[in-house]
Amino acid sequence: MVNWVTLIDISLSGLGLGALYALVAMGFSLIYKVTGVLNFAQGQIAMVGAYGVVIFGTATVLPAAIPAWAAVLVTVLLGVVLGLALERVVFRQFIGEPVLSVIIVTLALGSILEGVIFFLYGQNAQAYPEALTFGGQLSLPLGTSIQAAYAVAVAIALVVVAVLMLFFRRTVTGSILRASASDEQAAMVLGVSIERTIALAWTLSIAITAIGGILLATSSGGAAVSIENTGIIIFAAVVLGGLDSIPGAFIGSIVVGVLQELGSYYLVGGTAVYVPFTDIQANFGAGFGEILPLVLLLVVILVKPYGLFGTERIERL
Amino acid sequence: MATNEQATATAVDDGDRPVVELDNVEIVYDRHFLAVQGVSLSASEGDIVALLGPNGAGKSTILKMISGIGRSERGEVTRGRVFLRGEDVTNDGANEMVERGITHILEGRRVFEDLTVEENLRCGLYRQGRRFQFDEDDYQIAFEYFPQLEDIMDLKAGYASGGQQQMLVIARALIHRPNLLLLDEPSLGLAPKLVRDIFETLVEINEREDITMLIADQNAKRTLEIADYGYVMENGQIELHDPADVLVEREEIKEFYLGTSSEDSRYTDIRHYKIRKRWT
Ligand SMILES: Nc1ncnc2c1ncn2[C@@H]1O[C@H](COP(=O)(O)OP(=O)(O)O)[C@@H](O)[C@H]1O
Ligand SMILES: [Mg+2]
Repeated sequence: MVNWVTLIDISLSGLGLGALYALVAMGFSLIYKVTGVLNFAQGQIAMVGAYGVVIFGTATVLPAAIPAWAAVLVTVLLGVVLGLALERVVFRQFIGEPVLSVIIVTLALGSILEGVIFFLYGQNAQAYPEALTFGGQLSLPLGTSIQAAYAVAVAIALVVVAVLMLFFRRTVTGSILRASASDEQAAMVLGVSIERTIALAWTLSIAITAIGGILLATSSGGAAVSIENTGIIIFAAVVLGGLDSIPGAFIGSIVVGVLQELGSYYLVGGTAVYVPFTDIQANFGAGFGEILPLVLLLVVILVKPYGLFGTERIERL
Repeated sequence: MATNEQATATAVDDGDRPVVELDNVEIVYDRHFLAVQGVSLSASEGDIVALLGPNGAGKSTILKMISGIGRSERGEVTRGRVFLRGEDVTNDGANEMVERGITHILEGRRVFEDLTVEENLRCGLYRQGRRFQFDEDDYQIAFEYFPQLEDIMDLKAGYASGGQQQMLVIARALIHRPNLLLLDEPSLGLAPKLVRDIFETLVEINEREDITMLIADQNAKRTLEIADYGYVMENGQIELHDPADVLVEREEIKEFYLGTSSEDSRYTDIRHYKIRKRWT
């Protein structure tokens, strides 16, 4: 028999997880939409964001810690500066180059970022500053509940998503950003500087990706190297949403988050699952939840290569 | 072939400096492809100037080098000069030209397809101090000349009809508040009735907003009806030019009409249009 409270519980935490992924996924789509770069270093950028708060907010590497809120701010700002520098020095050289060479550059970038974190902290998880860890549970209707840290992270993620959407839909600059992505020349004759647009896209992308990494860390008590895996998981989300669609990235992330949570709970090691209407019973190994989004990724690429909301002109990957 | 002397003649008459002036201009794409050669033309304050000629004549190339957008297609003025109110602006970039009050309406109704009509109009506000905020008043100039747009503000521009899209790109340019408007093929692919409406609106805009216009179009008849002066191009050169009312009466142009004004050849290139060298 299905336990409804548990099902709702798990689905809710899946929605929440999806909202956290959404920041990293929207960062990916934004860069792809505006610059055409498929950034396979998203997971590592999120991870560096997560560890940035540890670097600045605890006295593990630096001689003294700064307040937690300042550590978050410094991390995001430094991330943006780094992103702009990378765009100027690296990615600008690859404008108009084959997609593959840019992909390889982002893969290399990911490895470098990963190397830096491993060098500083090894593979160990690092606790977050006191101010960013909340214990306790929040009770929700129907007898379900959710961890406070998780709820706060999800709430912040949703606020960031809403602000970003409002920016795109309601401001001149946001409209211009979308306009440049759809027709560069027609935007240029309105006085838009494409270089500035690209810089803005990187700024926003790195900022929300870093925030996503930080929130993923706070929701689980600290920075861990597993945040890096977000990179491939959100890839499933954006492929489902259609690489160049920012709302698509959000919806794709929610689907992937729910799928992963349901999978992790119901398909844990040793769980026997009966295929409906038959006597067939399947046993799944541990960690199957995290594989589900990737199975979805494969199915989407085969069945609907442009995703749910993507533009058809996108190169098939 | 046109010479400097011919081109400057129109401008000097009223004593004013022409808004835009090309002096014996040669334009090359990709360092090798010669697209325009020895072109001199000018447009005086408040004029509507027609740039006519068949597909491939070099009309768009000239507009693109005036607005600076041609640079993004590896186009370059390799000989001659371009002046804006007497200032040498040869090979300046699109950003600089926009700052100087030039708005270019590109060929092919380039609306931002996944943006709504309102968001498209909003993009026209960009120049005015990189604005973050805006209000409905900013759109008044658009509604004044294209009231139909007010009813489709929430429609995705990609779903608008061809006529609506043409109105939208003109309206978006108006919101941008230019003093020189470059229009590339505003009539292309539109029904004759729509073309008449749009051209009438252009005249109104020209008169009331004091915007000088350079219109490149294959529809010679319609364009000369609203123009003050006309240039006819072929193979990258200017073959004929005269005040519009004089040009309309010239034999070579009457021949040219046959190619463009008849309904069924509107979409095709003009095959039989050929201005004989002896006329120039
Ligand atoms: N971006 C470009 N790169 C290279 N050649 C071009 C480019 N644009 C136009 N041309 C060439 O320049 C010539 C003039 O084209 P164009 O100015 O578009 O003519 P028109 O607008 O009168 O139809 C044509 O031979 C065309 O093929
Ligand atoms: Mg053309």
